[in-house]
Amino acid sequence: MNRDRYQFRLQRLLGAAAIGAACFTASADSSTAEAESVETKTNVTTQKADAIDVLVIYAGKVTTMDGDDRVINNAVVVVEDGKIVEVRKAKGYKEPKDAEVIDARDSWLVPGIVELHNHTAGALRDLNDSVYLTNPGLRTLEIVAPETEEVRRAQVGGVTAAMLIPGSGTNMSGFGTLVKMGGSSVDEVVMRAPGSIKIAQAGNPEGYWFGVGRSFMNYNTRQTLEEAKAYHEAWVAYENGESEEKPEYSIVFDDFRGLFAREYPATVHTQAYQLVMTTIDMLANKLGIRVVLDHSTIGAFRTAQLVAEAGEENVITMVGPRALYFDRMDRRIFGEVARWHLGGVNRLGINTDAPVVPQEELTNQAALAVWLGWEPYKALRGLTIVGAEAAMAEDQIGSIEAGKDADFGIWTGNPVDPTSWVKMTIVNGKVVYDAERDGRRF
Amino acid sequence: MKLMYPLAAAIAVCAMSSSTLAQMPPSKIALSGARIIPIIGDEIEEGTIVIERGKITAIGVMGEVDIPFDAMEMDLEGMVIMPGFIHAASADGLDRDNESLPVTPYLDVYDAVDPSSLFFEQALRSGITAVHVIQGPNTVIGGVSRLVRPIGLSMDEMSIRGDLAMVISTSPRNGFDRMAQLATLREAFIDLDNAIDSLAERRYEEEQEKKDEDVNVSPQEARDLGRELIRDEDYNDGVYNLVRLRRGELSPWVYTGAAMDVAPAIEIMGSQDVLENTVFVVGGDAHKASGQIASTGRPVVLGPNLLYRERDPMTGRLDEVFVPKQFHDAGVTFALLPSQSGAFAERYPTFQAAQCVRNGIPRQTALEAITINAANMLGVGDSLGSIEVGKTANLVVLSGDPLDFNSWVEKSFIDGILAYDREKDTRLKQLLDAGKSGEEEAEDEAEENGDEAADAAEAPADAETGGDAGSDGDGSGNGEGR
Repeated sequence: MNRDRYQFRLQRLLGAAAIGAACFTASADSSTAEAESVETKTNVTTQKADAIDVLVIYAGKVTTMDGDDRVINNAVVVVEDGKIVEVRKAKGYKEPKDAEVIDARDSWLVPGIVELHNHTAGALRDLNDSVYLTNPGLRTLEIVAPETEEVRRAQVGGVTAAMLIPGSGTNMSGFGTLVKMGGSSVDEVVMRAPGSIKIAQAGNPEGYWFGVGRSFMNYNTRQTLEEAKAYHEAWVAYENGESEEKPEYSIVFDDFRGLFAREYPATVHTQAYQLVMTTIDMLANKLGIRVVLDHSTIGAFRTAQLVAEAGEENVITMVGPRALYFDRMDRRIFGEVARWHLGGVNRLGINTDAPVVPQEELTNQAALAVWLGWEPYKALRGLTIVGAEAAMAEDQIGSIEAGKDADFGIWTGNPVDPTSWVKMTIVNGKVVYDAERDGRRF
Repeated sequence: MKLMYPLAAAIAVCAMSSSTLAQMPPSKIALSGARIIPIIGDEIEEGTIVIERGKITAIGVMGEVDIPFDAMEMDLEGMVIMPGFIHAASADGLDRDNESLPVTPYLDVYDAVDPSSLFFEQALRSGITAVHVIQGPNTVIGGVSRLVRPIGLSMDEMSIRGDLAMVISTSPRNGFDRMAQLATLREAFIDLDNAIDSLAERRYEEEQEKKDEDVNVSPQEARDLGRELIRDEDYNDGVYNLVRLRRGELSPWVYTGAAMDVAPAIEIMGSQDVLENTVFVVGGDAHKASGQIASTGRPVVLGPNLLYRERDPMTGRLDEVFVPKQFHDAGVTFALLPSQSGAFAERYPTFQAAQCVRNGIPRQTALEAITINAANMLGVGDSLGSIEVGKTANLVVLSGDPLDFNSWVEKSFIDGILAYDREKDTRLKQLLDAGKSGEEEAEDEAEENGDEAADAAEAPADAETGGDAGSDGDGSGNGEGR
């Protein structure tokens, strides 16, 4: 924990210096960001809702993050019952009489940001239950708290969905839960449980018992997963009629069935070369698990070719919270995300490890990555649709397209520009944060 | 061949000089003009080696060997070619030498080798083309070892052969004494017997049940009947690896850190019927038991420190013993280990061999101790360790005689791929450049910056005086551009 805290402080220190510089470059970069829009205000007109809740949002710019990477200026987005029904140019559109209208013609409408690495379930009192070196029976679902300070923080940062995962104190600390950052009951906020299985390859679990090394940790993790896989396969064989023998139900292993059916991914605490190599080799290639590399730092970008060989549909790379890597042998600084990018990895996202970096600063992480050589548009993709893909929820969130959930941030400009700020956050078509109404938080 | 590109890329990873080996290596090459020290067979003064798809296909005097028309020929006149050196036992590529558990036969170093470890880059630089990665001696029974190339992006690419050896120690691990060590070791083999017994009993019962027959024999009879019913997949990993050890599929590499640890090692390995596969990894004063080891006919791996110093308690006189000579005189085959730690010359296999010659060991024996001996101990003597037709083209090219300490490792070939080239070793250049004094570096910087500062001040005349002879061209070039 001490080391974590130290790294956190170091990170913030480096971050502060770099973000200062990033402000400069990023705002110079995105002329479309219109710095003066910071001054203007969003007008909200609320009308009485009818049987169908219709929300109409006029926006100066909509970054859809759809398959065609459309950016629509002077657009309108129509939402019915929490789902997007139409995205189009505002010209020629007439909103229905009883629709709720948000006028953000001077602002950017950005898909709700997706965080893959958030530890704030249970507001941090339940980070790790280090019972065994692998704890397959634990779930963050039990400790989801919908209205915490940490959720309020997320809303200020335009983050609308997050994977709440347990810590990395053991090699397998339990199942994560995919939740919305807005809503008042557990049922309302949970999108999917299990959201993921949290695996920590190494780099924390070493402290278990009186010390374990990688040969034992990897052996043990593989054993647990192979047992879970055997359980899944026994059930599949039984369900397909290939086996007469009905497997005995296991409360510990039953949640793994979705993992091996590739319904949800493993979010893996993994960094530095050997660990990421092992994640790709053991989990993705040999066990056939869909993997999210969470952290992917400390020079892990050197495994880029392995990710490419394993296939980016099998391994999605989320980088953070460290933004840069100082190679002591080469005496050089590498921008972590930029190096992954140069290594040919396209499905690249970014994370905060909240609250290591506070959740509202996810976009600052992206700004820093851009400052160190990533592309601004790729960064916006990394914050939104790539995160949704990593969570395996791209059918529901991550872009502004008809049929998807109405999760948005209304920003004064480009979210990757650190001078921009969130005016309003909308989750499932409901305004969960309004800077004007609620006052600017934090 | 999938291997080639990743191997080349791995060098880029190691040395961070991505351009050096980006292109595919040719499948046929001929190395001509160098003195060839094949280890097995006679030296050739000016020879040619032909490599096709990673294997040596011809060796001989230059001009007398047919070089295929489509082979790329590399002129190595004045150089010396040897088989690539083999690092006989190293835990340096691992995250830690040992786990904290005493008995871990189910483990495999596969899970803990870091291909990006600087150790492998350094090994390559000193002419090593194969590293036997094995856990350290702070254990009772450790995991399974693996022979790897010092290049590759992943373990599968690096691996030459897995499932080689299992480390066993008769010297006490940290914080324990010899009685505890040996008791634990013996207990592990008793546990193994018990595990096999209960498995045999279970298998017999299972089979009887399948046949719908009663189990009407004594437990002992059931065990005897069930033993041959055990299938490999019935064992758990730890039991299976120990069974394989007994079968001779894994060889015990027994660490004996003192002379007194040798006798129990011989006794216990003998009791398991595996003495004929045993390799002794020796340290401390184990050379005092060289006679006992010689009587087993088994080889030893010597720790990097070749001099053993002991003070006579009566006279206070310091005695120095050159360890390899003791084993050599006792008729024991040995392999030399380089040391990876510190700034000493022991880190180079060639230095280790040179020390042997200096202390009266024949040159050929010394060179075998860094090449073929380790290959034979690892059971890969048929493909590595010498330059012979049909063997894997793992070669090291030196600028001079291997025992001359002015010689550099110029190139290494692994599976016929140029895996190391000193000319392109950017890190080595950097490290050697770092010998410049701080003042010199400051001057260099001043020269470079001088131009820019002057240009910025729009005083081209100053720029020319600011930069000395070499930089004049640059200065005028910049001027024209404006």
